[in-house]
Amino acid sequence: MTNGTTGTNGRKKLPLEGLRILDITVVWAGPYGTMHLADWGAEVIRIESTSHFATSSRGTMARPPKAMVALRAGGMGYPDDEPGERPWNRNAIFNTHARHKKSVTLDMTVPEGQEIFERLIKNSDGLIENNVAISMERLGVTWERLSEINPRLILIRQPAFGIEGPYKNYRTWGNHMEALAGHPLLRTYPNEDPARGPSGVPSDAAGGIGGALAFLMGLRYRNKTGKGVMIEAPTAENFIPLMGEFVMDYTMNGRVHTQLGNQHPYFAPHQAYRCKDAEGAVPGETERWVTIVCRSDAEFQALCGIMEAPGLALDARFSGALERWKHRSELDALVSQWTSDKDPSDLAHRLQDAGIAAGMIMNERDVLNDPHVKERGFFQEVTHPEAGTHQNPTYGVKLSKTPNEIRRHAVLLGQDNEYVYKEVAGHSDDEYKHFVETGMAGMDYAENVS
Amino acid sequence: MLMPMDGVRVVDLTRFTAGPFCTRILSDYGADVIKIEEPGAGDPARRMPPFHKDDPGLEKSGVFLFLNTNKRSVTLNLRTEDGKSILKELVKGADILVENFSPGVMDGLGLTYDVLSEINPKLVMTSISNFGQWGPYRDWQATDLTLYGMGGNMSGSGDPELEPLKTTGRMTSYHVGYASALATAIALVNADLSGEGELIDASAFEIMLQSIDSRMQRLLGFQYNDKVPERLGAAGQMGLGSGTLPCLDGHFMLTGGPVMFPNIARMIDAEYLLEMPEWNTVAARSRPEAAEEFEALLIPWTLERTKEQIQAKCMEFSVLGGPMNTIEDLVNDERFDERGYWQTIDHPETGPVKYPGYHFRFHTGDGEAMPERRPAPLLGQHTSEILIELGRTPEDISGLRAQGTI
Repeated sequence: MTNGTTGTNGRKKLPLEGLRILDITVVWAGPYGTMHLADWGAEVIRIESTSHFATSSRGTMARPPKAMVALRAGGMGYPDDEPGERPWNRNAIFNTHARHKKSVTLDMTVPEGQEIFERLIKNSDGLIENNVAISMERLGVTWERLSEINPRLILIRQPAFGIEGPYKNYRTWGNHMEALAGHPLLRTYPNEDPARGPSGVPSDAAGGIGGALAFLMGLRYRNKTGKGVMIEAPTAENFIPLMGEFVMDYTMNGRVHTQLGNQHPYFAPHQAYRCKDAEGAVPGETERWVTIVCRSDAEFQALCGIMEAPGLALDARFSGALERWKHRSELDALVSQWTSDKDPSDLAHRLQDAGIAAGMIMNERDVLNDPHVKERGFFQEVTHPEAGTHQNPTYGVKLSKTPNEIRRHAVLLGQDNEYVYKEVAGHSDDEYKHFVETGMAGMDYAENVS
Repeated sequence: MLMPMDGVRVVDLTRFTAGPFCTRILSDYGADVIKIEEPGAGDPARRMPPFHKDDPGLEKSGVFLFLNTNKRSVTLNLRTEDGKSILKELVKGADILVENFSPGVMDGLGLTYDVLSEINPKLVMTSISNFGQWGPYRDWQATDLTLYGMGGNMSGSGDPELEPLKTTGRMTSYHVGYASALATAIALVNADLSGEGELIDASAFEIMLQSIDSRMQRLLGFQYNDKVPERLGAAGQMGLGSGTLPCLDGHFMLTGGPVMFPNIARMIDAEYLLEMPEWNTVAARSRPEAAEEFEALLIPWTLERTKEQIQAKCMEFSVLGGPMNTIEDLVNDERFDERGYWQTIDHPETGPVKYPGYHFRFHTGDGEAMPERRPAPLLGQHTSEILIELGRTPEDISGLRAQGTI
């Protein structure tokens, strides 16, 4: 491996350098986990196929019709809403997680492809996948088979509900799994049709963290025992602990929470408050909001001071935490009235100066322009040969001696075919040529792949 | 079974939720986590509801009990010289120190990374804070709501007619703890290889920007077409064959879409659509009116069925969908019991209680099972035990206790 041998802040090597991980992940949870491992120096090789398009990987289709692209919401699409000649290299979601990774194309559904796959398994430290169990079994991805080929392999399997049990072949995305696990019903608005709530998927990102951590734990296990291991990291089981206190309230007290919205169990105010609309903003970006939380009487008194509302400070309905919580709707209405003609960023600064937890609700453009984000260097300009130059989000944490920069753009389909076929799988020049000629090794999906 | 973090010692100065979640993960996989608590008061999470049987007490908080399984508790007053020197002795024999004080507090105590790494050059120190150890917002206050609003996808979450929504409960904090555990494990690999530890600046705000709700993909993606994600509410989920739909006993979440449409059409016995020019290609199914036309067939179908029945159909026809469950539905779903997911942990003050199980499980091939977790420690439960490990005599310990150091 040559990537990352020089860092800017001291360390010569990245922590995971020298480790090779095969990646058969889709959607976000799996790919986000292998992103972390690639970020920290592992050689992550995505196994892709020119004859099969794994849906929700490089977009939802290899060649999406223009009508479908136009339906995409913000933050999910193609540069300038233009899929281009090779849309699979221009998808925003894929291009976010695929930095530092390598890509090889081989068709695991045919014997020749399986033979190459076996060679890769032999020469790798790990395999990570997050497909429904039956899909992997059909491709021969089982611990029994792979551990025979490479007893030191660390196999991470992350289907939604595990590789055994009654839900083994239950196919879901993160949002459906979360619905089953109780999250959207907890999260949605009080006293409204539950369907009005968001369907965000925090389980996906948590699944990625779990997958990466599972690999590191497997690595420690292998270092201690000399043996490989299979680790099962179902995204549901990985996610349920993130609602720990609700599980505990039910198992300890039989209490069932539902439709909480932004309410806190005992703080008030604790809400998002509408501010003055942004002037001259593009449609969709005019609404401005601030969050305000008071955690104590002192903070509430400070808020009343800033609101210049001495009457509020003395109001019996709001004297003490319990009274404020009981009358939170009335309190929210009064605070909203006060924020409605103000700028959220100014408000956040004024309230923070008084020690109150307040912040502007930031859209993506706000984040890009935020002074704190800029000063800490969260974004880095990266040029992608087929998607252009953009500010890329870097790392969520900063390690003092390990390089924190992006070293390689999101990988193109089949970009590393020659390296992987020859250097990793050990094929000769002639053999590689054969795979190029048959189309197994290529940089385009076959014509008949939609 | 042999656990991957066996032999790894963690000095845990964390309180509340994010930090303790980080060290809990490390303890799940075998690390010896020594939780340092303030004498008398302990971790403030001990006073957070819900309490067992709604009866408040330092040993009965569900949040605390959940977050601190497997750990050992030592009370130590870090404002005293004796307290600091005991901490330094612990650091000497540790691999990891995790803290989530406000930035500057560790400096004020004279316990900077420079000081601690001189005692133990291999030490990995993880500092978790709201906005990082430096930068304009360093000293800002924050809760889950503040952080998710600034860093998470709150601006794009919820109904356009209503307020933006946070994630539920303490999910933001737990997520920060989880990401910090991953970073700690990475730095530990480095320390093992190089003999040199390092300092991790884990900013909850930046972890939001990267991680929760996959915010980073929106931060890059919005630059692709200059479209900022908006709150779309129910309408945003209502693509073709998609949405949170009413059914006989609640709601069911379904995802169809133009590509996967054939399966959902078969599921509701509307396979005949696939022969019609309005429905037989992806392009045809991408017509703006397609979603509403199909809904007229789909909703009457869901209204006649229970969540359980629709779920069974989804599994049969490979359709993406999930029931809108409560936590009660989840805990009582026997299919998780069949996998042995939940763990019953017996704590002296609560008796046996069911807890969420492991995030991920080892299959070692020789049939060894992951160990049962130990209950969260009583305040100071392991003080004497750990001081004796450090070579203190019973007389020393009585002396420290009398001074209020422990």
